[in-house]
Amino acid sequence: MATAGERAKGRGAGGNGGQQSPSAHRPPRSGVGDEVGHAGHPLYRRGLLKSGISALVLFLAAGMPYAIARFLAPAASRPAPRHNAKVSPRPRNRMRPPGALADDAAFIAACIGCGLCGEVCPPRAIVFHAREGGGAVNTPYIDPEARACTLCGKCMPVCPTEALTVVPREKIDMGLAQIDRTACYPWVDRGICGACVSVCPLGERAIGFKQWNQYKPLVRKGCVGCGLCVEVCPHPSKPIWIVDRSEGSVAKHSI
Amino acid sequence: MKEHASTQAGTAVHKPFFLWRHLNKLRWVVLSLVFSMLVLLPMLHLYQTYVAAHAYDLLAPSEKRLYDAMELLTSPFVSDPEKQLDAVKGTTWSGTLFGLKLSDPLAVVGQMAAGLTIYWPFLVTALIPIGFTVVFGRFFCGWICPATFLYELNSNIAGWLHWAGFRIGGRRFDKRIKYGVLALGVVVSAATGSIAFAAIYPPAIIGREIYYAVALSGFGAGAAFFAGTLLFDLLVARRGFCRYLCPGGALYSLLGRYRLVRIRRIVESCNDCAKCNVVCEFGLDPLRDGFGQECNNCTACIAVCPTDAMTFVLRPTDVPPQGPGHLGRQYRRAMEKAAGEAAGRERDRGARAAGDGESTSRPEREEAA
Ligand code: SF4
Ligand code: SF4
Ligand code: SF4
Ligand code: SF4
Repeated sequence: MATAGERAKGRGAGGNGGQQSPSAHRPPRSGVGDEVGHAGHPLYRRGLLKSGISALVLFLAAGMPYAIARFLAPAASRPAPRHNAKVSPRPRNRMRPPGALADDAAFIAACIGCGLCGEVCPPRAIVFHAREGGGAVNTPYIDPEARACTLCGKCMPVCPTEALTVVPREKIDMGLAQIDRTACYPWVDRGICGACVSVCPLGERAIGFKQWNQYKPLVRKGCVGCGLCVEVCPHPSKPIWIVDRSEGSVAKHSI
Repeated sequence: MKEHASTQAGTAVHKPFFLWRHLNKLRWVVLSLVFSMLVLLPMLHLYQTYVAAHAYDLLAPSEKRLYDAMELLTSPFVSDPEKQLDAVKGTTWSGTLFGLKLSDPLAVVGQMAAGLTIYWPFLVTALIPIGFTVVFGRFFCGWICPATFLYELNSNIAGWLHWAGFRIGGRRFDKRIKYGVLALGVVVSAATGSIAFAAIYPPAIIGREIYYAVALSGFGAGAAFFAGTLLFDLLVARRGFCRYLCPGGALYSLLGRYRLVRIRRIVESCNDCAKCNVVCEFGLDPLRDGFGQECNNCTACIAVCPTDAMTFVLRPTDVPPQGPGHLGRQYRRAMEKAAGEAAGRERDRGARAAGDGESTSRPEREEAA
């Protein structure tokens, strides 16, 4: 039933097969052309729309109990914030971008995976989680061994959602650097290094040398976990890494 | 409105505004621009990172080439690329345009479902797209969506295959499936607490995959998924993902159900050639006034119409089916028949004859053969 019209435009990809040649019009019955064919197209009858909407409502209703339960549940039964978690809440050297919500479940819910934070990051430190699938699909993280955050602060204002909120540089909490004193070159007296201390954008507040014993680095309270020290560490086994603040420890004494 | 010009006497047939049949070209320009921006923006980001590093000499040769090209491209407009190039960032999923943050309504729906809260600053970024969708219907699908750019090229390939004799891509499904996908996505987002749409929504996938491929190198699972939808469109149903599965398309269809700007057939100048039905990517039925909420005002049917019988109107619903086009054969036959019947009646009335069996009552379907 392919008419000249269909042949004329070679793009009829079959999707519009034989149903659409003009001869499918009903022959005019009463002989008055203007009154012909008020039946409407079958795909657009109201009934179908109605059942479409009821299917939608049904789907939503099916999910409602769970949603309500999730919403009303006491905080304890919701996914635990990572600060309270007993098991390690995240592998080392996996940080959310600066300004991220502390509760990782909330962060995942808030982040729409737009990639804007990655797209403004000057060192291209922000990469995306589990692009192969999984719960945290397309959410951003930083792997400081590959590329660390420079605390430039560009990603926070660009995030359209509350996943990243603007916080001052010193209040950023991506984690805490931890040093393995059994491997770090100065700590095992294998030379002078100080790369981590010299690269830290926050200076003495965050990382400094042990008193009287130059070049042995110590992490202090002011560390925000940007990971630059991890990136710069020349030791092949990277004896410095970032952990969650709840899991790390810092040098107590002053500089 | 002018479109309702009465043409019973065949005198003043309404002609669409002459620019409207060129809108389809404009649409292709817009689609290509959006797509090339998606490719260009990651390159500009790379350029910015190179500029920020202040180490041109340390760049690899390919990086230097990129640096030079981008410098050539942007130096007339910006003096401080590190800062000024931040003015345009992002994808169609969410982005910032000279300080104006815009987001996809589907992203807002997904985020509200995942977090079970409303974050107003984010909702506000979707208001402009939502407003446009309410007025222009599913325009995003026809005019912006970076997937459309690839899907329509894909449809061209399908067209060639069809022309070469491969009868593929002709399956039809139920259009309501996509509303189910939308609802399911909302439920899954609420249940898992992460936005499920981002994983299956082609524009979001394309935006981030291009960014990844250009700026960080490598494709993810999203690219494979999108390739799958291309194959589905090619082999199973033309534009099938958009018509039956895309949650974004479902959302825009719902939002644009009573869109003000819509396409209408001028029955007086239609000749039933059915080119509009063939060209319609969404498998709609412009020939029989079956636009509905799925029409994305892409204007392909306006551009293809040989008799200028498609136009825009401002009205919140489609006109009811108007029957065969007045320049077509069916209408002419019907008129001839009506005239014949009227003449017959006149004759009958005049003669007061009882023989009414000879009037034409056989169905005229022989042209369908
Ligand atoms: S603060 Fe700057 S360097 Fe750090 S992750 Fe954000 S954009 Fe990247
Ligand atoms: S900018 Fe915000 S919403 Fe977008 S990917 Fe980054 S954290 Fe997620
Ligand atoms: S239906 Fe979805 S993928 Fe298709 S054009 Fe619309 S938004 Fe893009
Ligand atoms: S009916 Fe016309 S304007 Fe609407 S989607 Fe089809 S071709 Fe495009």
